[in-house]
Amino acid sequence: MAVPPAGRAINTQDIIDKARRQLLHLLEAIRGKKNLVIERSLAGTIGLFVKFSTLQEYGVDKLFFLENHNVDSTQRNLVFLVRGENAKAIRTVAEQIRLVRSESKIDHDFSIIWVPRRTMVSNLMLEEHGVLGEANISELDLQFIPLEKDVLSLELDNSFQDLYLRKDPTSVFASAKALMLLQKQYGLFPRILGKGDNAKRLADLLQRMRSEEEVNASSDPNNAYLASFGLTPSSIVENLIIIDRETDLPTIFATQLTYEGLLDEVFGISNNQTEVDASVLGPAAPQQPQNGSTTTPVAASKRKVQLDNTDKLFPSLRDANFATIGPVLNRTARRLQAESESMHKPDQSIQDLKSVVSKLPGFQSESGSVKIHTSLAEEIMKFTRSDTFRRTLEVEQNLLAGGSDASSVHGSIEDLIARAVPLETVLRLLCLESCLGNGLRQRDLEDFKRQIVQAYGYQHVLTLANLEKMGLLLPREGHRGYLNPIAGSAGQTATDWNAARRNLNLWVDEVQEADPEDIAYVFSGYAPLSVRLVQCILQKSALQPSNASSGRPGAAATSAATPDSRTSGTTGWKPFEDAVSRIKGATVDVVQKGADADASHARQTLRSTVAREGPRVSIVFFLGGVTYAEIAALRFVSEQLERSSGRTLVIATTGIVSGRRAINVAVEKRSLKT
Amino acid sequence: MSNPREHWSQVGDKFYRKTPLYTDVFDEDLDLENYVVTGAPYSGAVAIVRNEDKVHSYRGTHAAKTSIDIYSCAGKLIRQIPWNAGLIKAVGWSEDERLLVVTSDGTVRSYTDLQGDFVPFNLGHGAEDFGVQACKFWSRGFVALLGNNNLVSVTRYDEPRPQLLAAPPQGDVTAWTLIPPEHTSSRSVEVLLAIDKTVYVIDAVEAEDRGLEAGPFRHISTSPNGDFIALYTDDGKVWVISSDFQDRLSEHESKVRTPPKDLQWCGNNAVVLAWEDEIHLIGPSGSVFDKFDTYDSFVHLLPDFDGIRILTRDVCEFLQKVPEPTEQVFRLGSPHPSAILLDAIEQLENKSPKADDNIQTIRPQLDEAVDFCVRAAGQQYSIHWQKQLLKSASFGKSVLDLYDSDDFVEMTETLRVLNAVRFHETGLPLSYEQYIRLTPERLVQRLVNRQDYLLATKISEFLHLPVDKIYINWARQKVISSSSTDQDNICQEIVRKLEGTRGVSFEEVARAAYDEGRPKLATELLGHEPRAGKQVPLLLSVGEESIALDKAIESGDTDLVFYVLLNLKKKVGLSDFFRTISTRPIASAIVESSAQEQDQDLLKDLYYQDDRLVDGSNLLLSEALSAADIDRTVDKLKMAIKVFHDSKGHASHVAALQDAQKLLRFQETFEKDLNEQFIGMSVNETISKLIRLGNMKRSHKVQAEFKVTDKTYSWLRLRALVSRRDWRELEELSKGRKSPIGWEPYFNEVLGAGNTKIAALYISKCTSLPVADRIEMWVKCGMIAKAGEEALKAKDKNSLEELRSQVTGEAAGEIQRMINQLQKGR
Repeated sequence: MAVPPAGRAINTQDIIDKARRQLLHLLEAIRGKKNLVIERSLAGTIGLFVKFSTLQEYGVDKLFFLENHNVDSTQRNLVFLVRGENAKAIRTVAEQIRLVRSESKIDHDFSIIWVPRRTMVSNLMLEEHGVLGEANISELDLQFIPLEKDVLSLELDNSFQDLYLRKDPTSVFASAKALMLLQKQYGLFPRILGKGDNAKRLADLLQRMRSEEEVNASSDPNNAYLASFGLTPSSIVENLIIIDRETDLPTIFATQLTYEGLLDEVFGISNNQTEVDASVLGPAAPQQPQNGSTTTPVAASKRKVQLDNTDKLFPSLRDANFATIGPVLNRTARRLQAESESMHKPDQSIQDLKSVVSKLPGFQSESGSVKIHTSLAEEIMKFTRSDTFRRTLEVEQNLLAGGSDASSVHGSIEDLIARAVPLETVLRLLCLESCLGNGLRQRDLEDFKRQIVQAYGYQHVLTLANLEKMGLLLPREGHRGYLNPIAGSAGQTATDWNAARRNLNLWVDEVQEADPEDIAYVFSGYAPLSVRLVQCILQKSALQPSNASSGRPGAAATSAATPDSRTSGTTGWKPFEDAVSRIKGATVDVVQKGADADASHARQTLRSTVAREGPRVSIVFFLGGVTYAEIAALRFVSEQLERSSGRTLVIATTGIVSGRRAINVAVEKRSLKT
Repeated sequence: MSNPREHWSQVGDKFYRKTPLYTDVFDEDLDLENYVVTGAPYSGAVAIVRNEDKVHSYRGTHAAKTSIDIYSCAGKLIRQIPWNAGLIKAVGWSEDERLLVVTSDGTVRSYTDLQGDFVPFNLGHGAEDFGVQACKFWSRGFVALLGNNNLVSVTRYDEPRPQLLAAPPQGDVTAWTLIPPEHTSSRSVEVLLAIDKTVYVIDAVEAEDRGLEAGPFRHISTSPNGDFIALYTDDGKVWVISSDFQDRLSEHESKVRTPPKDLQWCGNNAVVLAWEDEIHLIGPSGSVFDKFDTYDSFVHLLPDFDGIRILTRDVCEFLQKVPEPTEQVFRLGSPHPSAILLDAIEQLENKSPKADDNIQTIRPQLDEAVDFCVRAAGQQYSIHWQKQLLKSASFGKSVLDLYDSDDFVEMTETLRVLNAVRFHETGLPLSYEQYIRLTPERLVQRLVNRQDYLLATKISEFLHLPVDKIYINWARQKVISSSSTDQDNICQEIVRKLEGTRGVSFEEVARAAYDEGRPKLATELLGHEPRAGKQVPLLLSVGEESIALDKAIESGDTDLVFYVLLNLKKKVGLSDFFRTISTRPIASAIVESSAQEQDQDLLKDLYYQDDRLVDGSNLLLSEALSAADIDRTVDKLKMAIKVFHDSKGHASHVAALQDAQKLLRFQETFEKDLNEQFIGMSVNETISKLIRLGNMKRSHKVQAEFKVTDKTYSWLRLRALVSRRDWRELEELSKGRKSPIGWEPYFNEVLGAGNTKIAALYISKCTSLPVADRIEMWVKCGMIAKAGEEALKAKDKNSLEELRSQVTGEAAGEIQRMINQLQKGR
């Protein structure tokens, strides 16, 4: 299952090139050698598009992370690269400038590059610290960064925390800005669909920005006058589908069962890289020194593995269910072995040798990658074979399939607590249950809370309070949610999961992991609601009850050249309005027309003749983060759409999320220790 | 009909031409000799300031007042800025026609439009103590030379940050200039200082002696493209060298005793020397035109990038090298096809058949001929010749089968604009190149700065440029110049005029009103601004914080919201602050979120105010986690409990906090008694550790005290015993009758620790499991025979056969025996 060429329409290389050019240009403008101080969370993001050696070519001497009092004053030039929307980081920058100025003997030149923009708060804070006039200030307009050709990410590590714990909509605004930029490049999204209260907020913001954009565009002297005639609907992008993470929280708590998903669950992936113990990759390291491009040694005991399409094997493995990885690896290993034997044949002509030599680099990198992924897969196997994992998965699947017996589930969870499995595992299960059932019974919840603070420490009173604030672990209340007939009509305050499971086929009993017919393969049975919502819009046939009656909804999807695929761009949520309306949060459906009717019409005419064969894309934007399993599922959908109607999906998100990351936001890390 | 070559002069093998632009420029009684005259780039405005170094003849009080007078090139007074702010040391322009005035104490005033509004800033770096000697300007910045030879550079005007360049050597600076950043290899400004016999090059990092011997130099000047430097030596020689000081390109000895008043480049290939009323021109490779021209009154040179403006009291002229197409078309006897095409149109006008002959001669090069005529038209100031050339081009292209007329059409449009602005009323004598570099947008801006709104709008509409800026500027001017009584009328008039214009920003107009001290009008105008975010800063300025907050929230920009909140907090009392945010959830969220990181006290007040007991208590718990010692931790915990003292319904929360406190006290005792570390552990961990240490009694006490369930306790005990390999105790446990967690966990844990013997003890107790599981358990312990017995007992023949296939040797025989027995039994 290779990465589908969905990205064709949205040129990701352009984005990377532009970001790199902009950063290097800013660095070049500062004369001489410089020390670069970078916000830790930005370092990985920057690493996605520029190498450290390139930075060195542009005069960067040393690199520091923005922390307290760690700045080295060896260079006259000191450059800060920091997010301008992060108040804490701004303050640290101001304090450091003041510190260096008072302590260092030489006269420093300070420069600050705010990402993605210079904010008024940053000005105010620098002014309060008396350093505003000290620094040369510029901006690096970094918005979406491609993680893959079909995945754009804002890489906002804090967006989940900000949105759901702090209720701080900064990332909604950042998303709107980034999406506006896409609209400026590719034209207005003709239709904006979405689900969730924040999705509504984002859609409103996009509309508002669009009207303000017209004012801005014409008052910007650098703007060519053509641009000021306003945006016209895009001929490439058909829809923007916004999925508010809040509408589908259970999915992030389910254990991802794709290869990449499990890599994220077990080792954690950030900025397309994972860090594993050197011992995991075993003796492969010394034997494969040329593998430097794929793996780079970090500290003595850790190694970084690059996980993207530069790897020979990874693209074909990443989205497959982990259960099917073994055979693929086996087959590849055997093929390589055979190739290797044919290379070592004693009687070879010069021609043969030539072809052998030409194949050699590819062969080496491929066998290197087989080794790495085999080791990684073995390590994951250790994890998946463990008793804890087995039990956790069982509970999880029971919950997701619905109709589970609460007491047996609770018994299992109590066991897990008593056995001191990691807190995260326990909380994931409880949150999953709470999210699916709109809360836990008050008495059960109190019980679990007591057990948790006793087992893991009283500091977790705070953890549990945070989870409650985030709406992840709640007492069930009679008057809330679908049980209440007078609940607000603007949008449900709670999802009726049983109805959703039924209407949208969230549980598929027979899953064929090796040759999947439905997206449910990514969780071995559970089909993520988020992706089902996308299918409601783009792949209605996969969900039509008439087809579903066969019990194999996926079967319809594969032969999906049904008429609806051609009209799906215009029908919005139909005929699933009812099902969708019973899911928590507002439903969004906005049609955007060009400001200038003539121009839009002209574009429309052109589109109907020219663009019929061109790529047509729907952008699926996850507000609050997306999991690797969902990405895999969406790629699966995209592939089917492409086969049936030539449409593809591009996935955009504020960042990558997982159950672990979500829980970690809440977990109190200190303990009652003195 | 004037002769197109009327003002041409040949210097060496090149032609130079002087275009008279305007006459009767200044008042007759203005003696420019006593004034410093500087011109903005691209034929912009001219600033005239009394030269304070010169002794003036007394002319009555009227003239004694200092002012900076800004004129157009045609001598129309645009603005008079009265001056009483210190000794002016330098006056200069930026390319966007921003006027900069530097006084001797290092204060800089930057006048953004031509209307007298300025932003001041200070050079610093010792400018106050040593005094500014002089300044040199380039398109986007300037460098000031201080009394101690230090150099201060300013590279941008929107946010000026004066920067000290590397320290130059001491000594008298006889002349100096700079190379703008865009023309240096380092991309930062370089200053050339002529000291003693040599020239130093100074940038931000170092000062380098270029080792010249021919000094001292009286003048030094950089060519507009930064490639060449012209030097004037004390003994009257003019040198032209490359700007990297590697090549000496030409040398010319002027025979004049008195050194020239000024030396400037005319384009990139000629140098002009100016004395009081005459100018000399030195062309490429040393060709010279002495006494190129003489004038009736004092001469000032205003260099531009493609030529030089010569300004006297009476005339304003533009001196430039004759542009290539013009030379080809008009040079006497030019064989160029364009010259022949031009001739053809004259023949045509005379109705002579020669016109066709001409066309036939140049037929193969007709493309080029048309092209040259179009380009030459652009270079003409005379409307007659513009027409003539365009006519030729038009004639030529009518003969051509295929010709792209874009250039032609564009040129006609450009010429219309150029002729309009060159008209003496406007006085912007732009050359074609200057217009292209300036861009139409910035030309419109210049017209707006001159308050020539009509022409600005006409040109914008003609060229399809946005007009919003013009309207806004008009409105601002309206606000500023109107009297304060008819407030409503002004607002209405402005709204009427501006509404319906795309992209108009009322915010800018409102700001002008505010700056004029009319906050009411400002607020009223601001109401018409479509962009919520833009309204915020001004609303804050006029003291409408809560409206500002609403607008900020409306804009969705959290930066703005936060900004308003920070301002609001500084301004109002805490209770008002809380009241304001309490009805706005996003504002509260942002306050809470930012306070979490930096202002816990504010958070406490907030929670107290809002009666959020759990949050308040949790905040104290969080403080307890960071407390320095156990007593303080316990104190904080007590405080956290006290928060709830007169409320009900938080029993479980209070209980947890009390337990936490109790646990700490327990752990303290254990640490004392057992000399082991306990503090920081959870209840379960404490029990587990006590068991591991063999302290069963204490562990039971903790279990009872904290009501830990038997199930949990059993698990803890099992794992603790396994971890300390206490097989004896585990064996003892296997004799127990009942287990709250069943016996399977015992089997699994002990087996996991590798003790098959003990593990086996539990198998028979797992009575609730199916037989197959028990068989497998025996197998896992390596006891095949036992597994067989289990199967035999259950009469499970299949399992037995499976077992047989798995094993060899003695055990196989045993299993076979059992199979036989089973079969026999049947």
